[in-house]
Amino acid sequence: MLFLALLAPPLLSALLALLVTPYRRAVGWVNALLSLVTLGAAVGLWAAILAGEPATGGSDEFLRADALSTLFALCVSFVTALAAWLGPGLARDEEWGPVQARRFSVFVNLFAFTMLFAVTTNNVGFMWIAIEATTITSAVLIPLTVTKPSVEASWKYILIGSVGIALAFAGTVLGYFDFVNLAGRHEDALTWTVLMAAARSLHPEVLQIAFVFILIGYGTKAGIAPMHTWLPDAHSEAPAPLSAMLSGVLTAVGLYAVIRWRAVVSAAVGPAFPNRLLIVLGLLSLAIAAFSLVIQRNYKRMLAYSTIEHTGLMCVGLALGPLGAFAAMLHLLNHSVAKSMMFFLAGRVADRYRTTELARVSGLLRTMPGTAVLFAAGMLAMIGLPPFGLFISEFALFRAGFAAGRPWLMGAVLVLLTVAFVALVGHLHRMLYGSRIPGMEPGERQRLGLVPLGLSLAILVVLGLTLPEPVATLLDRTVEVIGRGPTSPASARRWPTASASRSAASRSSAATSCTA
Amino acid sequence: MTMADSLFSQVSVLGSSLVLIFGIILLWRRGVRAYITALAWQSWVLAGVTATVGWFGGDPQLYWVAGLLLVIKGLGIPRLLRAMEARFGAARELEPYVNTATSLVIAGLLVVFAYAITRPLVAVAQLPTRAGMPLAMGLVFVSLFVIVSRKKALTQVIGFLMLENGIALLAVLGAYGVPLIVEIGVFLDVLMGFLVMQIFVYQIHATFDSIDVEQLNRLRH
Repeated sequence: MLFLALLAPPLLSALLALLVTPYRRAVGWVNALLSLVTLGAAVGLWAAILAGEPATGGSDEFLRADALSTLFALCVSFVTALAAWLGPGLARDEEWGPVQARRFSVFVNLFAFTMLFAVTTNNVGFMWIAIEATTITSAVLIPLTVTKPSVEASWKYILIGSVGIALAFAGTVLGYFDFVNLAGRHEDALTWTVLMAAARSLHPEVLQIAFVFILIGYGTKAGIAPMHTWLPDAHSEAPAPLSAMLSGVLTAVGLYAVIRWRAVVSAAVGPAFPNRLLIVLGLLSLAIAAFSLVIQRNYKRMLAYSTIEHTGLMCVGLALGPLGAFAAMLHLLNHSVAKSMMFFLAGRVADRYRTTELARVSGLLRTMPGTAVLFAAGMLAMIGLPPFGLFISEFALFRAGFAAGRPWLMGAVLVLLTVAFVALVGHLHRMLYGSRIPGMEPGERQRLGLVPLGLSLAILVVLGLTLPEPVATLLDRTVEVIGRGPTSPASARRWPTASASRSAASRSSAATSCTA
Repeated sequence: MTMADSLFSQVSVLGSSLVLIFGIILLWRRGVRAYITALAWQSWVLAGVTATVGWFGGDPQLYWVAGLLLVIKGLGIPRLLRAMEARFGAARELEPYVNTATSLVIAGLLVVFAYAITRPLVAVAQLPTRAGMPLAMGLVFVSLFVIVSRKKALTQVIGFLMLENGIALLAVLGAYGVPLIVEIGVFLDVLMGFLVMQIFVYQIHATFDSIDVEQLNRLRH
């Protein structure tokens, strides 16, 4: 039931927008209300986690929301709701015609559905299908207004994204290959719970190769360097609400797939191998992002590079044991809220100034005071200053690093964060102050649009001052899932060979191949 | 190993080699029309390998997969590609980033590399088809190289479709294919992805007056 409330509304919204031609604003209202149903369902999943009983749905636990899934479903549905309320569907301004609003409503809802499905399905294959579909549904929306840069960005996005995700499929096939090899063809072989139960008996050398493919593949979607090259283009050329979803949650969904697979690979190979890869790529992402921030001339690209920076931080955190995983997941939550807010604000700025170049935006505080204050607060949050949530999660990450005995690593991270800090403060200063652009009247348009963004800021402040009990419990349970993977008593019963020794398993698979 | 098994093993290796060779054609021919033909033939051979594995492996589901391959990648997509090619007027890869001779040497090295990294896979595999796995991985790498070294958007699309073929071959040889329901989803994604790419190629042509991706260089830093 919860899953129906989670997954059906986006599909209904997409269908409605598809059927009603020409587009009417009533569709936008229905869409906005339905997005709240999805958000409510995600909160329901959260309540189920707090009650200690993860929700499952469909036959054979086809859908399954443990703490990790729930955390991501919450982030996705929150940002989707923001996009529904602030996006072209309800917007009054002349920017989007009815054709564009209709196209946006159809595909943004399909996009939201694929992300929600990806984080709640218990099937590795379907997760891959859903994540591949996120590329398709979101790429269509990047050239919502066809310009040379948006066409270029959409091409790079779909090509690099599809190739990356194809490599992730190669990794999935290799994992499945090893499973089939050990235990024979099995209908449930591609479910997380069964894969996890069998992980200890899989071949380490095969799983290592598989994980490299998976990390490159899903890492492309997550925006981990050096596979990040499409990200600044796509995130900066997309319309603002889509940018918010791409940067706020799609990168997180890519990371979700990596986290799930890492649990399987850690059980088979030991944690050292995946952790080393995560640290190397995380540091590389941080470094590339920090120095790109310094030379940045476009504020939407600046936000996109900051996403790469924060994804890098999360990768490093994930490699630092349970404390680090806790910090990384708190950081992910904070980042989803902060970055989506920032892209909506950047969209407001771009609407007024008609440019995304940093050099041509000045005097923001006097021109758009409300937007400017929220924008400044959001930037300070992203830099990692108190009293915002990202300060707490970065602090926790450093503590985890020192507790894990990695002072040099943490020193390097700190230096790179400082570079990003200086760059971002400089850019922010130039945008806020300076002379007003001649001929631009001060004042906000669509003041009501600031209200949901103020709510985002309030969430960041609350998370910066305290860690409410329900959030802390959710994160604790998430860290448990990250560490040992999803387990379910049902699949352990169905899967008695999990603890069987390798020789027994390979004997049974030899038997299977003989029957072939 | 029984007679049937050794025949099966030889047929699968022969089929995999053909699939790889059709991939390498992209590196030594210039005309995009030849690439489309290579893709179509590659998909037919791949469908044949899949059906053969279905026959010897006793898995009737693979006939469905072979049928889908034949219809979607062997007939439907090549047809759409030819229509695009005709519209843009005999597209040719005149100046790829890497010239033909060097490309072929690199392709050879990539296949050797594929053999090196698939050694652990072949060592643990028990299916009679395992000897073809390095060739499938070789096609994955060669396709990746095609995508990064060629300039026409259409060539990149074909490279991407061949990459998918390489992975499909890997799945068939290594595990007799992934479960049918997943396979159908994958086909749906490939088809949707291809259709969107097709729209984008038309858009590139309309905005830039050519399908050369070299001009897509506005966005940097």
